Amino acid sequence: MIEAKEDTKLNTYKKSQELFQRAVKVIPTGIPGHLGPVQSQFIPTSDFPFYAEKAEGSYFWDLDGNKFIDYMCAYGPNVLGYNNPVVDEAAFAQFKKGNCMALPGKVQVEFAELLVDTIDGADWAMFMKNGGDATSFAVMAARAATGRKKLVRIKGGYHGVAPWTQVDGHAGVVKEDVSNNLFMEWNDAEAFERLIREFPGQIAGLIATPYDHRIFTDNALPKPGYWQKIRQLCTDNGIVLIIDDVRCGFRLDMGGSAKYFGFEPDLACYCKALANGYNISSVVGKESLRDAASKVFYTGSYWSSAVPMAAGIACINELKRIDGPRLMIEKGEKLTEGLKKAAEANGIDLVISGVPSMFYMRIANDNSLMMHQEFCAECAKRGVFFVSHHNHFINCSLSDEDIAKTLEVAEEAFRIVKKNNPDKCN
Amino acid sequence: MSRETVMSYINVFAVLKNMEELVRVDSVSEQLIKSRNIAIQFTVHKGPKAVLAFRNGEVMLTRGGGKADIKLYFFSPEHFNRMMDGKANPVPYKGLTKISFLTGTFMKLAERLEYYLRPDEEKLKDRDYFRANTEMTAYAAFFALSEIGNHDEKALHSSHAIPDGTILVKVVNGPAVTVIKEKGSLRTVKGEPDSPRCILSFSSLESAHLVLNGKLDTYTALATGRMAMRGFIPMIENMNPILDQVAEYLQ
Repeated sequence: MIEAKEDTKLNTYKKSQELFQRAVKVIPTGIPGHLGPVQSQFIPTSDFPFYAEKAEGSYFWDLDGNKFIDYMCAYGPNVLGYNNPVVDEAAFAQFKKGNCMALPGKVQVEFAELLVDTIDGADWAMFMKNGGDATSFAVMAARAATGRKKLVRIKGGYHGVAPWTQVDGHAGVVKEDVSNNLFMEWNDAEAFERLIREFPGQIAGLIATPYDHRIFTDNALPKPGYWQKIRQLCTDNGIVLIIDDVRCGFRLDMGGSAKYFGFEPDLACYCKALANGYNISSVVGKESLRDAASKVFYTGSYWSSAVPMAAGIACINELKRIDGPRLMIEKGEKLTEGLKKAAEANGIDLVISGVPSMFYMRIANDNSLMMHQEFCAECAKRGVFFVSHHNHFINCSLSDEDIAKTLEVAEEAFRIVKKNNPDKCN
Repeated sequence: MSRETVMSYINVFAVLKNMEELVRVDSVSEQLIKSRNIAIQFTVHKGPKAVLAFRNGEVMLTRGGGKADIKLYFFSPEHFNRMMDGKANPVPYKGLTKISFLTGTFMKLAERLEYYLRPDEEKLKDRDYFRANTEMTAYAAFFALSEIGNHDEKALHSSHAIPDGTILVKVVNGPAVTVIKEKGSLRTVKGEPDSPRCILSFSSLESAHLVLNGKLDTYTALATGRMAMRGFIPMIENMNPILDQVAEYLQ
C-alpha cells in the first residue's frame, strides 16, 4: 500500500473517467492515438487524468479541477507557454480577417520568408498540418528528385503514422507499404556505407531525427563526425538527406537542430514548436530540391489556413526574441539535475538522456520500467505530469517555482518508490 | 512455413497440450484415464513431433520423440490436421495391440476437450464450466501464440521484435501463463515467474472470457480497465499482432 504525506491531497479523476465511459461508446478506444490510455503512457490508468479542461503557461487543469505542471507540453507544441498572449493576439487578429479561405492569405508568404531567414540552409518552405504530412512530403520530394525508390531509416525511428513509417504485420499495414525501407542502426555511418554499396543507385533518401529520441530507449546524441560523414555520403551518392526536426525543432537552435549539430540537410521537417499549438507543419529545403517539391502534388483542405500561419510568425519571432532554445535547455538542465539528486538521495538510479529541453528519463534499478511507471504515477497524483516512456518537453514559461514544486513532488514520489521496492534500491 | 504446418504445431502444442488441463478440471476425463499408463508419440512429416503421456491420472505433453507405447505417423501437416478434425486416420507403426486406447479413451477425451473449448450460452451459466472454459481457452491461446510466433512468416517480424524477457499474462486472483522470449524464440509455460519484465492482466475471469472468446476487443478492454499492462511495454506491443493471429488460426 502506498502512503502519502499527511498533508498531501492526491488527485482523483471521477469526471475524467465518467466522460471516458461515454467516449468508449462512440469513439474507438475512447481516446485514439498517442493521447489515449491504450497507448500505455498512463500506468496505471487510474492514476492519470484523461481530459483537460483548460491550460495556461506551464499548466493544464483536468476536468476534475486538478492542476498539473505539464512536462509533455501537448507532446511538443506548447513551446512558449499555453495561451501565450503574443501568439494568441496574432492568431485572433488573423481570425477576424479570415482563416480558411478560397485563396491563401498574405501570411503564407510572410511565414515562408521568416522560415527561410531563420533556418540554416533553407531556400524555400512549404506548409502542411502535421509532422507526418511533412515527413511523407519530404520522402515523396526525395523520390521525385532522384527517380529512386529506396529510403534509409534508423531502426526504431519515428516519423509519423503513414503506412511507410510503420511495420509489416501491424494493423492495416501490408508488406508493399514498407518494401522500400532499408534500416541502419543509429550512429553507424559504416552501416549507411554498406547499404549504399548493396543498393547502388537505388537510394532516394535518408530520413532521421537530429538525434536518437525514440521511446523506451535512452536517447543518444550523434557521435562526433557522424552527421558530417552522413552528409558527405549523401552528397557523394546523390541521396537526399532529410532531417525530421518535427520534435526537436526550435528546442535546440532557432537555426534548426542540424545547425546545432553542425551540418546542413537537403530537406527538414518541422511541426511541434512551429506555432505554439496552432496546427501547422512545414518542410524547408535547398534550392536544388525546389523543382521536385513543386512537382509533388500533396495538399489538404486546411493546409492554407491563415490563422496558424499568423500564429507561427508570432511564435518564431517570440522564440527568437527571448532566445527560446537556450532558455529551455537551461531550464531543462536545472530540472534534470534536481531530479537526479532527489533520486540519488533515495538510492534510485535515474538515467537522464537527450538534450535537456526535451530530456528522456528512466529509473534504471530494474529493467522492466515498473519502478519508473510507479514514479510517474505518484507524480501525476500530486500534480506533476510526466509519462513513462516518452521524452519530456520544457516550455519557455516554466518558472523556477514550477521546478522547485516539481522537485518537491519528485522527492516524495522517489521516497514512495523506494519504500515499495526496498530490495531494488541502492 | 505454410499455414497448414503452423496449424499442425498449434494442434499439437496448444490443442493436445490442453489435455493436461482437461483431466484436472473435468471429472469425466479424470475417470477415463485414472488407471491408464500409456504414451502416444505423434510424428508429423515436415512438422511437429511430440509424446502425449497418460500416467498416474495425469497427462503430460513433451516435445520431440521418446518412449511411447503407440507411435503414430502422419504423411504431412495436412494429414495430421485432418485427423484432428476427425476426417483422417493416423498410420500406427508401433503399438497396434493398444490401438483401442486411441479409438476409445482418446476419442472420448477429444470430445470432452471440444465440449470445454466450444461454449454456448447455456453451458456458460454453470460457474465451474465458465471457469474451465476460460482457463482452457487462455491456455490454448497463449500456447498457440508461441507456436505462431516461432513458425508463421508474418508473425516472425513481431516475435523477433519482442525484447528478451518474460511476459506474465494473468487474471487477477486467477490463472496465469508466462510467455518467454529467449534466444530468438518464444515459449509459453503455465504459472507466474518471480520477476516478469512485463505484465498483461485481466481484471477478472469475465474480462478474460470476453476477450479470449472474441466478444470484446483488446483495445476496448484496455481502455475500459478490463485489461491493464505495465512493465516493458514493447514486449506486449510486439506480442499483440501475434495475439491477433491466434484468433485467426483458432477460429
